Amino acid sequence: MGEENLPSSIVQFAQLDALLNLGRANSLWPMTFGLACCAIEMMCTGGSRYDISRFGAEVFRPSPRQSDVMIVAGTITKKLELAVKTLYDQMPEPKWVIAMGNCAISGGPFKVKENYNVVEGADKLFPVDVYIPGCPPRPEALLEGIMTLEEKITGKRRWPRVHPG
Amino acid sequence: MEMLEKTRIALAGLFPEPVPPATLEGEGGQDAPPREAGALVTDPVKHGSHLDVLCRPDQVVAVARIMDSEGYFLEAISGVDWLDKQQFEVIYDYNRLDGEHCRVMVRTSVPRDEPVVPTVTGVFPAADWHERETFDFYGIQFQDHPNLIRILLPEDADFYPLRKDYMP
Amino acid sequence: MTVPVHLRHDETFVLNLGPQHPATHGVLRVKLTMDGEYIVKAEPVLGYIHRMHEKLAEGGTFAQFMPNTARMDYLHALAFNHGWALVVEKAAGIEVPERAEYIRVITVELNRIASHLLWWAAFLLDLGGFTPLLYAFDDREKIIDLLERVTGSRLTYCYMRFGGVYNDIDDEFIAGTRDFIKRLRGRMPRLYHDLVTHNIILIKRIKDIGFISAEQCRRYGATGPVARGSGISYDIRKNEPYSVYPEFDFDIPVFAEGDSMARYMVRMHEMEQSMRIIEQALDKLPGGPVMGKAPKVLKPGAGYYYSAVETARGSLGHRLVCNGDKNPYKLKLRSPTFSNLSLFGEVAEGMLLADALAFMGSLDLVIPEIDR
Repeated sequence: MGEENLPSSIVQFAQLDALLNLGRANSLWPMTFGLACCAIEMMCTGGSRYDISRFGAEVFRPSPRQSDVMIVAGTITKKLELAVKTLYDQMPEPKWVIAMGNCAISGGPFKVKENYNVVEGADKLFPVDVYIPGCPPRPEALLEGIMTLEEKITGKRRWPRVHPG
Repeated sequence: MEMLEKTRIALAGLFPEPVPPATLEGEGGQDAPPREAGALVTDPVKHGSHLDVLCRPDQVVAVARIMDSEGYFLEAISGVDWLDKQQFEVIYDYNRLDGEHCRVMVRTSVPRDEPVVPTVTGVFPAADWHERETFDFYGIQFQDHPNLIRILLPEDADFYPLRKDYMP
Repeated sequence: MTVPVHLRHDETFVLNLGPQHPATHGVLRVKLTMDGEYIVKAEPVLGYIHRMHEKLAEGGTFAQFMPNTARMDYLHALAFNHGWALVVEKAAGIEVPERAEYIRVITVELNRIASHLLWWAAFLLDLGGFTPLLYAFDDREKIIDLLERVTGSRLTYCYMRFGGVYNDIDDEFIAGTRDFIKRLRGRMPRLYHDLVTHNIILIKRIKDIGFISAEQCRRYGATGPVARGSGISYDIRKNEPYSVYPEFDFDIPVFAEGDSMARYMVRMHEMEQSMRIIEQALDKLPGGPVMGKAPKVLKPGAGYYYSAVETARGSLGHRLVCNGDKNPYKLKLRSPTFSNLSLFGEVAEGMLLADALAFMGSLDLVIPEIDR
């Protein structure tokens, strides 16, 4: 993947940037990109028990041109590769990618020596911001992934981190 | 088992010679003689099908027509790659949607270097996609198929993945 | 009813539906040749989620394939587990204790209700209603909680082993299941039937849409609610009984109209029948072990084996070819949705695009099961 050098502005809008980032983080609009089993857990997160709309992210947009974050939920195959890259390119900046599930991270249970059709991870195609492991990850894990993305965007974490034990 | 008898009699027209008491594949051991073409009654509790029909590739359409006229539906078409015998085997599974349950397995073998089988799409439209899948996985050519292109792999793939000698 | 319309084949354009589209079926692409709003030709294009399950089966042992079975139809994963366990137990001659059979039936039927609930939610989402999804997911979460206590997973279960199940059920599960059935039975009339089934908008959108005749079902090999909605009374649990289904008293809902409304009603009634089966199974649950004797390294005898189970979408078949090795020589999964979708091309001709989507929703597609 190539690196892009964005020219730095002459005038710095630090407080405005922080405000914009806060707005972006609290209203992430995901794109409906459920490919396989993880899509069902994504739907459960949108349901009323796990309620992704608490985080402002319940508006799943079908069109990439209206969405901020692409939650790659499921396996990417070689036949779908071009379509996924096109969808990523069609998303306007600023955009983020969450790789949900083992298949999107590394090919998951299909990364075997007989693999002839599965792309081993979404990060082979475009940069990924947050990785959520699991097969499929629980809805709580997806919410933690959204909170981690919010922390990446704003620099601060809104919710207390719960440690196991 | 009325349906079983009725089907066996209907198929008997294709295999005039009486089938010698053969054993099912694997049960006779290494020295068992290879099976002749014909219909063999099998135990559904052990094998899942009531009748095991072995036929030549050119008889496949005639068998399908008989099964259609008896009211069966085509459940599945599978391919098997016997690398040691240098043959591909195509297995057709027929089943019934009404009353009496009777599953018939029809098998045919083709040589590995020139696998050509006539299509049964004219009799059962269900065969359209199943044959495309078998072609996709093994490279078996189905003659006169209306649209024999790949179904599961990308259209420009140049390998047949389920062959035993394929490793990516 | 699809209005017969004279389609001008010379002024058509090609519209691509998918592979990314908001209908939550998965990655299906349909190449539609359109004349205005009417479909002239519909060709489904598959393979966007082809994950090589049949090749993976040949590469590992029989036990190593069990987790793969859940990833194919993840909505009714326990039935896929059951089908694989059945065919291998048939091939290797492994006995299953009675308590394990009852537990298998209870968990499979609970999973069937969960699958139909999700189908209902997604179908109505396609037709434009978001609220039923929230109600259905509420009930589905209760089922998932029950199954998670016993199996350890929420969605992709790997619960069954050759010879039984690996974990026993406890009293809390039994009490919880009875409570759940009472709860769902209480919610069904108002939230499911009054709000949705008798809703004039739903009736206008799916009644007389997508007519499939019984002969078409036979020619294309359609099974499950698609066949039962066209008047064919075919259910593996009654026609080719397996496990302990012969001991239960349940009906097979069959509707003869053949339209999307009939398929809808079949699935709603099937949920009630599944609840009946679960209640009877809980009443008759015997004691005993939950795991039979199975060898550590399984080497079934060489031969050809077939086994079928009834999933929420139709008849799932496993065509297994063994050659005495510890790996399967060839496994072909006869996926019910593969056959159900193959009649889409013929039936969708001449339909309006919105009606075709309603028809596709009534077929209950899960694409990873088609692509395997």
